[in-house]
Amino acid sequence: MHQPGADTWYLPDGLRAEALFSALTAEFGLDVAPAYAATVVYADSFDWRLYQQGYLLHCHGRCWTLYHGDSGEITVQQGGPELQGSCAARDFPPGQLRELLEPLLSVRCLLPLAPVSLSGRQIRLLNRDEKTVARMVVETQQPTGKGVAFRLVRLFGIRGYDHEQTRIRHILEEQGVRETASPLIGFEEGCLALGRRPLDYSSKFVLELDDASTARQAMARVYQTLLDNILRNIPGVLAGWDSEFLHDLRVAIRRTRSGLSLVKQVLPEETVDRFSREFGRLGSLTGPTRDLDVYLLNQDAYLNRLPPALRPGLQIFFADLGRRRQIEQKKLARALRAKKNRAVLTAWHRALKSRDRQPAPLAGIPVKELGRKIILKRCKRVLRDGRALNADSPDTEVHRLRIQCKKLRYALEFFSSLFPKQEMQTLIRHLKKLQDILGGFNDLSVQQEMLRLTLRDLRTGSRRNPELTAALGGLMQSLYQEQQELRTHFTEAFSQFGDPETTALFHELFRHDQHGRAKSAGHNEQ
Amino acid sequence: MSIIAVYNIKGGVGKTAASVNLAYLSSQQRGKTLLLDMDPQGSASFYFRIRSPKKFGTKKLLKGGRHIEDNIKGTDYPGLDMLPADFSYRNIDIALDECKKSHKRLGKVLQPLHEEYDRIILDCPPNLTLLSENIFYAADCILAPVIPTTLSLLALEQLFEFLEEIGLGRDKVLIFFSMVEKRKKMHAEMMRSLGKENGVLQATIPYSADIERMGIYRQPVAAALPGSSAAAAYERLWHEIQDRLVV
Repeated sequence: MHQPGADTWYLPDGLRAEALFSALTAEFGLDVAPAYAATVVYADSFDWRLYQQGYLLHCHGRCWTLYHGDSGEITVQQGGPELQGSCAARDFPPGQLRELLEPLLSVRCLLPLAPVSLSGRQIRLLNRDEKTVARMVVETQQPTGKGVAFRLVRLFGIRGYDHEQTRIRHILEEQGVRETASPLIGFEEGCLALGRRPLDYSSKFVLELDDASTARQAMARVYQTLLDNILRNIPGVLAGWDSEFLHDLRVAIRRTRSGLSLVKQVLPEETVDRFSREFGRLGSLTGPTRDLDVYLLNQDAYLNRLPPALRPGLQIFFADLGRRRQIEQKKLARALRAKKNRAVLTAWHRALKSRDRQPAPLAGIPVKELGRKIILKRCKRVLRDGRALNADSPDTEVHRLRIQCKKLRYALEFFSSLFPKQEMQTLIRHLKKLQDILGGFNDLSVQQEMLRLTLRDLRTGSRRNPELTAALGGLMQSLYQEQQELRTHFTEAFSQFGDPETTALFHELFRHDQHGRAKSAGHNEQ
Repeated sequence: MSIIAVYNIKGGVGKTAASVNLAYLSSQQRGKTLLLDMDPQGSASFYFRIRSPKKFGTKKLLKGGRHIEDNIKGTDYPGLDMLPADFSYRNIDIALDECKKSHKRLGKVLQPLHEEYDRIILDCPPNLTLLSENIFYAADCILAPVIPTTLSLLALEQLFEFLEEIGLGRDKVLIFFSMVEKRKKMHAEMMRSLGKENGVLQATIPYSADIERMGIYRQPVAAALPGSSAAAAYERLWHEIQDRLVV
């Protein structure tokens, strides 16, 4: 459907807005609104959740405006919290803005991005009936702390008045308004000044590997990408902005550890040994806080599992968890700041960059061959264990399959850029379905175990304990039931992944062909 | 998506004023709205300062699709578009009669617009014709402004009879009192006797100079004089209609 969007140009240096207006009055009536000026602070989640959906959000004190980046159309303007450090969707008063932000941001908080000074005027262009046929904004955008100011003209068309808009464009061009600009230039430049670029962070692992690189070169890039990810998430963990920083940090550590155990004989053995140990230790440092986060994030869902009479008891439990989280978070922050742990990351970076004195046996093979070999091996494991899975499998076997799946998933992600995109997506999709069920099953196990430990450690005699005990008991029952229910889905979840078609796809993509073998043999001889 | 037809057999009861203001209020609530001016006099189009496009008329309206989409005009208010009326609409019944399934043609033509618009509001001409029948079939709600006088009630009875005749019943009809003058005893009595009946809305629109002057300032009163009592009355009316439409 035809919907004229906005066009944006730079206002030439010599051209004053008034001169432009008077040129337009030859053909149009002009309704120029009073000038506005404000310094706004743009805000988004660390992983650009609003920007991804085409939204921009800025605040001016307590006044928040959410609008569409492309059209500049305001979606909602409303009061909200003052943005100091960070704020969450739930900090907004109930209303439209909060309703929009909550699903978009989910668990992520808003962080301040660039402060930008905006000043300008809105103009309505009118025909002889004084009907608005187009809107125009003449605006100066100046990122704070930067010398440059961007002077822009934006034209917003109105449906059904194409002819008039053509005329307006013509007049603009005559006035020398020709160079098109990004309407978000102030925002973009402001972000750059802070060292950020829109969409410069995503929790997904994305890396384009070079087909021609060796296993050693490629793995160094994989690890370096993960290390960057670790480093970028640490500030957010230390500041406690939202729980996703810790989550992403943990995932990056886990991926690194997985890499170290999956990919053998590419890095020197002593390097692998040392950093497997170190990252294992870092991973376990972050565990307790994350476990508590998982609980706290599910607070509402847990409360809903219980009959109203038992809920107050659970609230006691959550209040307790909240306090414990604070303590754990402090410990974690101290550990992450510790020189020893910082030094591990620096040493890892150095190990990746430097030349190995004694290259490992497989360091020189082509990366594609390495990827094939590892993925195929992982796949066989998952298929073997998966076929054995049924509704009666003991928890330990379910757990083992879950870990196998995780390893396969990471292997697929590390090397995915080397193989056909669509096929990889299909495989990952099937695998993800299986992982979701196994992951859900495991979460329920972990949660029950935690409840069991909490119950065990409860001291007798306190007045609030009966209430708490009853609530925890009720919750355990509900978790157990759901877990049993999940078991009945095991076979179904595996069927898609294990069907002949998917298996064939795996073989087709990752089997060593004659050509590959010959090539690898050649490498080994060198 | 819902289609609201503002309709009365009688003219001069405040149909167009209601259509224009309700359409404006609808668009203010994040609901993309299309106002269809079906009255050949084109008063709603006049209020929004929109002239009928040169090559638009009955034929194009009934063809639908691109022929309608290309002639929709944006109003001065974001989220509110309108399809202006054309003088050729005065003969629309003849054209409709030539169509297949002539009494459901309009509904079919409006169908594709559901994709783009959350609400469509029809400002209907005052008569009882094949076009009216089309409108009744197409609309989710027939909103009838009624001046609390005997003749208006008579017109309302005629509408109900007609709806029974074509087998639609009166469920779709919502009535509100329009151009109400507080100091007139008859108005008060009429409203009291009818007020409790099903489908009669509680919000009323007063007789107001601000509304009459819309012809001069050519904007919805809710936009031009947002603090006025007339604007507040339309707001109350709009809220009540929305509540009814949701249930």
